[in-house]
Amino acid sequence: MADDLNRIRSILSVHRRQLLERPNVVATGIGYKETGGAKTEQLCIVCSVTEKVPAARLSAQEMIPSAVDSTPTDVIQTGIIRALQVPTDRFRPAPGGVSVGHVAITAGTLGCWVTKEGQKVILSNNHVLANSNAAEIGDAILQPGPFDGGSFPQDHIAKLTQFVPISFQGEPSECPFANAVISVFNLGCRLISSNTRYQVTKLQAEDNLVDAAIATPLNPADVNDEIFNIGTIQGTVSGELGMAIKKSGRTTGVTTGEIQQVDVTANVQYGAGQVALFTDQLLAGAMSQGGDSGSAVLDDGNRLTGLLFAGSETTTIINRIENVFSALGISL
Amino acid sequence: MRIVAICTVILIPLLALGDDADMSPSILDVKKQHEAQFLKMAGVVSVGIGLDSDGNQAIVVGLDGSHPDTESSIPATLEGFPVVVQTIGSIRAQ
Repeated sequence: MADDLNRIRSILSVHRRQLLERPNVVATGIGYKETGGAKTEQLCIVCSVTEKVPAARLSAQEMIPSAVDSTPTDVIQTGIIRALQVPTDRFRPAPGGVSVGHVAITAGTLGCWVTKEGQKVILSNNHVLANSNAAEIGDAILQPGPFDGGSFPQDHIAKLTQFVPISFQGEPSECPFANAVISVFNLGCRLISSNTRYQVTKLQAEDNLVDAAIATPLNPADVNDEIFNIGTIQGTVSGELGMAIKKSGRTTGVTTGEIQQVDVTANVQYGAGQVALFTDQLLAGAMSQGGDSGSAVLDDGNRLTGLLFAGSETTTIINRIENVFSALGISL
Repeated sequence: MRIVAICTVILIPLLALGDDADMSPSILDVKKQHEAQFLKMAGVVSVGIGLDSDGNQAIVVGLDGSHPDTESSIPATLEGFPVVVQTIGSIRAQ
């Protein structure tokens, strides 16, 4: 047996090249010959092909001989063999669940493709596609995101189209009344030559429902409606207590969890001491890490239920998809 | 701005009527009524509706770490609904 194997190894090393040169052959190896679908005890040279073609359509040079140096061959159909891709790779077309980001951020996750005014657009978070309110409409979105090697213009996949501004606590107020009062106050300060000036800041920012944004692809051929390692979205469903969920994200790939809380009001930290209050959120156990933001959250039946955007050591915080869709005027 | 103000003036009595029609407040009403006060307490980062250890609907208060003072000032029940305190850590955008 070991002798057989060594003998076939040396035969294969001589003939490997001319076997691989034949049409459709993608791999050669040594295995047990299969006859009529059943494995036999006979060692043979296995040629893997993208597709099996009837012998009548092949010339003698194209056909794999039934034996090589008196060692039998077997032909099996494997299809095209591809390198396994990971979510931080470059994908064209790009599915949901892979790395994406505004040029000025690190990287987040491309949630999924949704429809805005008849056109397919990328859905992810504001803090992934719009740099937490700091971006301009039309800014470049890269796939993969900058942290994963994405660069401009080679990996420019889309342009920022729209984002829902996040209201942070303690940021300058837009209240016209308060600002008018304080400018009168500051005028007074100036009149008495004081160097002190006052600014109105929000003690309690408006409630946020979503951290969401969309981006339009430069090339419609770059759209892949599937979610990486999950498949096709089968509609939407409203998140409920106890619902089993899953997501496919840039950092932790496909993970599963359960909705443990609904109607959640939570304070979320956005680096640099910025805090934003979110209401009507879904809360699940730990199923994400930094870089998974923007992941589409689906139920067991692949129905879209939320947009992942934040988490702690033990929890994951998810926007309700119905709030995301209505805030951006989008649909599946 | 004026339209919002007018809408609010019209809506407030309507909402109040809705509340009066239903005598016993729902867990959502109770949570909404108390969450601002919870979120002011040291270490509170979230308030939601989940389940207690017996599987009953409960108001769940999340803390970013150990805060004995906060924990001792949160009641075990509110208007008949259980209140559960969990340490979940700080919530960060990911």
